[in-house]
Amino acid sequence: MFLQIRNITKSFGTEQVLQDLSLDLEARRMCSILGRSGSGKTTLLKIIAGLEGADRGSVWLDSQPLDPVPAHARNVVYLYQEALLFPHLNVSENVAFGLRLRREAGRQVEKKVGQMLEELELTAHARKRPDQLSGGQRQRVAFGRALIVQPRLLLLDEPFGALDTETRQTMQSLLKRICGEHGITALFVTHDLKEAIRMGDVFGWMQGGRLKTYPGLDGFLNDSETGIQDEIAFWKSLYDDHEKGL
Amino acid sequence: MRRRILQGIWGLIWVLPFLLLLVLSIGRQWPFPALLPRQWSLAYWADVFARGGNLNESLLFSLVLSLSIAAIATGLGYVTSRQIAYHPKKERWLLLAYFPYAMAPVILAACLQHYFLVLGWSGKWSGVWLAQLCITYPFAVIFFSGFWNQRMQSMEHLVTTLGGTYWQAFRKVLLPMSSSALLVCFFQTFLISWFEYGLTSLIGVGKVQTLPVKVFQYVQEANIFLAALAGCLLFLPPLILWWMNKRWLFRQG
Repeated sequence: MFLQIRNITKSFGTEQVLQDLSLDLEARRMCSILGRSGSGKTTLLKIIAGLEGADRGSVWLDSQPLDPVPAHARNVVYLYQEALLFPHLNVSENVAFGLRLRREAGRQVEKKVGQMLEELELTAHARKRPDQLSGGQRQRVAFGRALIVQPRLLLLDEPFGALDTETRQTMQSLLKRICGEHGITALFVTHDLKEAIRMGDVFGWMQGGRLKTYPGLDGFLNDSETGIQDEIAFWKSLYDDHEKGL
Repeated sequence: MRRRILQGIWGLIWVLPFLLLLVLSIGRQWPFPALLPRQWSLAYWADVFARGGNLNESLLFSLVLSLSIAAIATGLGYVTSRQIAYHPKKERWLLLAYFPYAMAPVILAACLQHYFLVLGWSGKWSGVWLAQLCITYPFAVIFFSGFWNQRMQSMEHLVTTLGGTYWQAFRKVLLPMSSSALLVCFFQTFLISWFEYGLTSLIGVGKVQTLPVKVFQYVQEANIFLAALAGCLLFLPPLILWWMNKRWLFRQG
């Protein structure tokens, strides 16, 4: 397994946020984790990224224990709900940021940034400042900035939460396509059921700091605990009523 | 037309006191009810730039004092406020920063005076420097407390996960993003120190003669011409700062 999380436990004061949580994920796969607010999704991602420490348990990536590795050396990129573009840099420089940190040669950086902007359909906006972009464009720049450093693992914390429905769908398709093309392994957390289904290859359900994983969509959809069945039943009854003309 | 007249009057209200200061600083013998001084001389101004002049030492020391205070307080406040912002008990620490302002700087000086006397810092430039830092440093901490928010912390974390060390995050993201705030804080702490009188005269016990202390001294001596000159000098740096603010800071915004 590429990513192995074993028995992670985390508390803040008296509140236990993660309880004996384990997860396995193969390389080049995206795991959608569905969960309500406060279920511990963000804390889990922060522990994997090295931004928080776990009280107990371990994280392994590509057979390497991550716990002794500092966050900046993990090559695990964490993307937030907000694009968090650097306001003093233009689109091109925002995308190049990670490469500049690695002190890559100028020409190499230019070439990679050019390719990435083209892939994300942002070439026309290369010289624009973040405040001149729409929400969807900003999020695309954030993806470009993350993907250009070729992360071993991409952590996405409800990255489309602030977008409107239409942009959200476009961005979901774009991210799915790009992650597939780049062979990115990713953990995608969301509280949106449709988004979880659309984005994941494998699935997880998180509640009260515990994670239940499903290797395929069937198991995820048929588990009564997740509430998915209730939602399907709701839409089905609405459709049936409509068909009957009620 | 009416609007222009009103604007002119409004402008005159602001400019007249400074014009009067300037006239007084180059005037000699101005008995009542003469409209203007009987003699004009640049001798006092020339004295400011002459070696061993009456005011140039105060001007120079005040400048060094305020510039160094502003630089140190801004730097310390920036770093300290970050530590406080991410501390679990940040409210308690921030409350400490409000302390000098809750009791007024001059009362703080009265409280500090005993310690400064015991430590032998009273009546010394170093003592006044330290005392002024006691009010400008908390000001800078309060000033930056709103800057270090959840968004800035997320930015910092993002740089880390992109492969940056804390120093790289500071140099490439935090510093450029805070440059305007740093500049404004520098200006404000400079002005607090530059116009500070009560605390300076209490801790300096009349021996440390900054420009505001000189102005009050001339006023008490009824030497209106020198008081006006010192007043003009007192207004020069804030005017330069105001011009710089307008030229660079607002353009950045």
